[in-house]
Amino acid sequence: MTSATQTPTIEELESLVGRQFPGGTYAVEPWRVWLTNDVIGAPQRTDGIAHPMFCYYAAMAGFGISIDEMFTLCYASADDGPMFGECDIQQMRPLKIGATYTVRGKITSAVRKQGERTGTFDIVAFQLEVVAPDGEVSSVVSNSFIFPRRS
Amino acid sequence: MSAVLNPSVGDELPRLVIEAVDAGKMKTMAALLGDSNPIHWDVDTVRELGMGDQPVNQGPNNLGYVMNMLGDWAGGAERIQNIRVRFVDNVFAGDRLEAGGTVTAIGDDGTVECDVWLARDGTHPVLAGKTTVSLA
Repeated sequence: MTSATQTPTIEELESLVGRQFPGGTYAVEPWRVWLTNDVIGAPQRTDGIAHPMFCYYAAMAGFGISIDEMFTLCYASADDGPMFGECDIQQMRPLKIGATYTVRGKITSAVRKQGERTGTFDIVAFQLEVVAPDGEVSSVVSNSFIFPRRS
Repeated sequence: MSAVLNPSVGDELPRLVIEAVDAGKMKTMAALLGDSNPIHWDVDTVRELGMGDQPVNQGPNNLGYVMNMLGDWAGGAERIQNIRVRFVDNVFAGDRLEAGGTVTAIGDDGTVECDVWLARDGTHPVLAGKTTVSLA
């Protein structure tokens, strides 16, 4: 286990806003859809439409960096005890089984907070777009991580 | 075709019950997601972390149950236009869960806004949020 990461300055934290992720692609593979439906108890559909959780899976698997790399980018590591904040999924068009989507996104906000019990913590939010082969955005996924900071 | 023809503000959505969260399915999801966090499949790690003696369900699985509840009600999960949630507590293998919700607003365009939740034993909240579903 590594030691906790040094708390960034406010300037360092705020400089994260607007940072673009490398991006990438995600293929909605039929075998993955079948197993996912089985895990979460969703029906196995025959109309080619993937479960809306694939908006989330595509975004998180395709934005071009790992979660550990995301923590590093935010001046943190898994050992700092980061927590998942909110998750917002917009489904403009259901994802289609067998299609390959392009994922792009950026950090949209980074703010420092002070809690009475929790002490200092930072909230970093990021937004990811899942783009269909025809160029239309099928889904927008917005997530945030909460990073406890040493005072 | 929507399963609901005329919802009203205050209507309770039909609840979806998961009788017992399956530890084996957590392993499948860990493999699918490439999720290396052992709390989803290694009970010894869960114990060492003082989190109990059952594997911890992946958060996206919990959101998936709520989406299934909405899909059953609305006539298909593709009718979910937006869902925003907070994960407020862990779900463990063996937990009995209930997913539910309440209609909070009805739009002129055929959309319905709802508060949604997932609760252990139907009472202890583990996920809470809001959604917009199209019934048009």
